[in-house]
Amino acid sequence: MPYTWRFDVVIENLPVLLQGLWMTCVLTVLSMVIGLVVGLAIALLRLSDWRILRVPATVFTELFRTTPLLVQVVWIFTVIPLLTGVLLSPFFSGLLALGLNVAAFMSEIYRTGIQSVDRGQRHAAQALGMTSMQTMRRVVLPQAVMRMVPPMAAMWVALFKDTSILATIGVVELMYQARFLASDTFRPLEIFTVVAVIYFILAYPQSLVVNRLYERFRVRE
Amino acid sequence: MPDNAPIWKFEVVTQNLSYLLAGLEMTLLLAVVSMVLGVLLGLLVAAARLSRFLLIRAIAGFYVDVWRSTPFLAQILWVFFALPIVTGFRISAFAAGIICLSCHASAYLAEVFRAGILSISGGQRHAALALGMTRFQAAYRIVLPQALTRMLPAIGSQSINLVKESALVSVINLQELMWYAQSLAGFTMRSIEILTAAALIYAALTYPQALLVNYLHRKYVVQS
Repeated sequence: MPYTWRFDVVIENLPVLLQGLWMTCVLTVLSMVIGLVVGLAIALLRLSDWRILRVPATVFTELFRTTPLLVQVVWIFTVIPLLTGVLLSPFFSGLLALGLNVAAFMSEIYRTGIQSVDRGQRHAAQALGMTSMQTMRRVVLPQAVMRMVPPMAAMWVALFKDTSILATIGVVELMYQARFLASDTFRPLEIFTVVAVIYFILAYPQSLVVNRLYERFRVRE
Repeated sequence: MPDNAPIWKFEVVTQNLSYLLAGLEMTLLLAVVSMVLGVLLGLLVAAARLSRFLLIRAIAGFYVDVWRSTPFLAQILWVFFALPIVTGFRISAFAAGIICLSCHASAYLAEVFRAGILSISGGQRHAALALGMTRFQAAYRIVLPQALTRMLPAIGSQSINLVKESALVSVINLQELMWYAQSLAGFTMRSIEILTAAALIYAALTYPQALLVNYLHRKYVVQS
């Protein structure tokens, strides 16, 4: 018996999906902000002269980079309340896990960006009498930022897709709504297909922008 | 620390180690099989993307974009729950896991292979052809050996990603490390110890690979 596609089921439930999509966007933006700020702090700690600052920052980065995001999300959601006695809503623990995950990857982007600026430039700036702060702000960072933009944009696209993992702890974003509707309407084929298409339509143009950025900011030395 | 601060009891982990190890075995099996299939499929897709025929290029490009622009969770749920409705026969969670992980990896690897091949200057290929080599010989003897060293670090990163992504197949009840960890955490009521142990096992799996990737990157990419 041929399968009858019933896309009216999707149309009926479109508001539910759009509500989830809104949450997906909110999560992406907030985690990116956390990642950018915390990531910078971690990167500065890793570049510090003091070992006592470098080591914890390195351990943090490596732990978040070497374990699956799902493990981090579930760990923070279940273990933090047990350890601290503070109950976290799925939204806050999810945001915390995603934000810290992005921060770990972001700190590596900052660090490699800063280190990729030729050492001679820093020496030249200091020879001209600039303080190390001035050297950083006027010479190193402006050049480093150009190199950080493309990988950061790539991170953003990855983050947009990774927010779906928060569905597993009950954050009501697009993937959560999809799983809810799929079992609620008994129409997994239509629902999951439409949701995959929604993700694709939103993520694909972003990845094209990332490609353009890599072309545009290619370093020529 | 709250008053009822928990006492860490790591013997829960040692007592249930056999379950975690069974999960680890499945995680390793998934990662290794999917990596091998992903490399083979990725080579095929990369070759298709470099084809002379527009239609083949377009299909391969679409394949890569679809797998790269949708979340892995959406892919695994689609393959496990929606694909059987289209094809008419059910597939096991294991088959769904392998299909998704391999195809997902193949899309990323195809891009790695393509970029590696394109990074070898066209002059080398022309020189090889001028010396009378066939197109196949030029690719096999001149371009690929040079491209391979440049691709190695990126291939290593994909292998790390594959181990991490494999945790997500626990959502379709495939019994790998994360599935066992979550079940044990609920069963023993000791999520702190069990989940921490699981996280450390994953780190122990991927960290050596990360060191290897850094080494390969320094050795082959920075130099050239």
